[in-house]
Amino acid sequence: MKILMLEFYKIKRRKIGLTMAAYLIAQFLWGLWALHDPTPQAQAQGFLSLLYYISVLDAVMVPPIMAVLASRLADIEHKGCMYKQLKTLRGSGSLFHAKAVCGLLIITVMFAAQYALFILLGYMVGYQGHPDAAHYILSYGLKLASNSVLFLLQLMLSMLIANQMVPLVTGLCGSLLALLLTLVRTYSFLPWGGNLSGTLVTMAWNDDTQNAVFSYRLYSPVELAAVGMIFMWLVIFYAAGRILFSHREN
Amino acid sequence: MKTQNLIETTDLTKQYGKTLCVDSLHMQVPQGAIYGFLGPNGAGKSTTLKMILGLAKPTTGSITLFGSPLKEKNRIRLLSATGSLIESPSYYGHLTGEENLHILQTLKGCPKEDIDRVLCIVRLEEARKKKVSHYSLGMKQRLGLASALLGFPKLLILDEPTNGLDPAGIQEMRELICTLPAEYGITVVVSSHLLGEIDQMADHVGIIRKGRLVFQDTMAKLHTHATQQIALRTGRPAETLSLLRRSGLEVTKEDDYLLIPMTDDNRIAALCRQLCEQNIPLYRIEKRENSLEDIFLALTGKETSL
Repeated sequence: MKILMLEFYKIKRRKIGLTMAAYLIAQFLWGLWALHDPTPQAQAQGFLSLLYYISVLDAVMVPPIMAVLASRLADIEHKGCMYKQLKTLRGSGSLFHAKAVCGLLIITVMFAAQYALFILLGYMVGYQGHPDAAHYILSYGLKLASNSVLFLLQLMLSMLIANQMVPLVTGLCGSLLALLLTLVRTYSFLPWGGNLSGTLVTMAWNDDTQNAVFSYRLYSPVELAAVGMIFMWLVIFYAAGRILFSHREN
Repeated sequence: MKTQNLIETTDLTKQYGKTLCVDSLHMQVPQGAIYGFLGPNGAGKSTTLKMILGLAKPTTGSITLFGSPLKEKNRIRLLSATGSLIESPSYYGHLTGEENLHILQTLKGCPKEDIDRVLCIVRLEEARKKKVSHYSLGMKQRLGLASALLGFPKLLILDEPTNGLDPAGIQEMRELICTLPAEYGITVVVSSHLLGEIDQMADHVGIIRKGRLVFQDTMAKLHTHATQQIALRTGRPAETLSLLRRSGLEVTKEDDYLLIPMTDDNRIAALCRQLCEQNIPLYRIEKRENSLEDIFLALTGKETSL
């Protein structure tokens, strides 16, 4: 707990909150611009469609955001050669754990704020009804898990490699890969496909009405396996990060 | 009574790939000493100190700290009584000096008052609210020392602490290190590639060359190796040699010179008189000093800057 509190103390003046807020504001402004004039059909399934939009947007945009977050948390030690000092005071595993928990708490708050903003957006553009609480909570949980995977992957890279360009480029490549995946299919076993695998809503295009039709997704066994893979990646990246960081010599 | 060694290494070896950085090192640091760890750049000083601090894993060999074998399980407990400054000072540039010390003070679990004390010792009180990224290199180095001093540990390991300091800063750092054993009961291990620096600070010395410890003892013992000789060059060296030997002197030849141990002025005068009496032309008579530098250079293979 003491080390976790110090992690938050250390990131003073790092403007991590500002980075996260900028991302959420950009998404919110995009939402206002793209969804401000909904058709009656769009109004009817508005809150359902929002779950789909959030997932697609995050699939493409979150990998570099997670790379930035992990880098902001980890590079403060690289810059000042602090790891060697800290490793004489605490076990390497606990240092990785504290950073991981700190980052995960930040993204928990960030995605909660994202859902709150999108719900607000829904009401602002005049969607009918209310968001389905159960689906929104489940969607939030899956989103948190799939993006925690990306964060832990990025944190592992950022703590192991002093040159932060490597993890940042990994984040950008992940973003491009996710963009490609969104065009191909709705699930993936790759770490960057978690946002797609965890989407609770699918979209079908109706050529006759020229409208998008949103519906809750019926998971096939392979899609369910892809969701399960998200949790596998969580365990794999946490364990790998902790073990590799512990064995890294300074 | 035998003095306890705070650090003892046995056959300590570190190999990176095919490169042997530290080779069967037997290091012994007595309690209360200022142990100068001396060697040329790349001799294995930092690697050794990193192994002692658990930052690098020995390939073979063992380390005993405060009388207990250093293992991964007890590493943090043993190191809690240790302060260190390895290679370059460690700091968070975006935080102030005081905030940096607050982090380490919390981790070390020492009293908050220690922050004021160590800032006072390293004379950084006025810069305590300044971001460390705005500090000069010397100030960062002093902050590094302040961090190491937090909690006033029993053992302080300083790796080239005067790197990057100006002459006044170097002098100040030396004076500070020299006071630590007497004032705070701290045993200090200080590494350097500069003999003069270690000579001014340390009472014990270990000299490392290509990963091997080539000398380890007190500074006083090292000084005894610093001998003086008289060098003679004459017109008839063979006759001079026999004359000197007849006089009971131990003579060694070096190029055109004959070297005899340093002796008193009267004996030198007598020798000169004897040479004149036998018509042996005396071309030169010189005092030769086998200084501490010479010994160091001989031990380290002349691979250092003095």
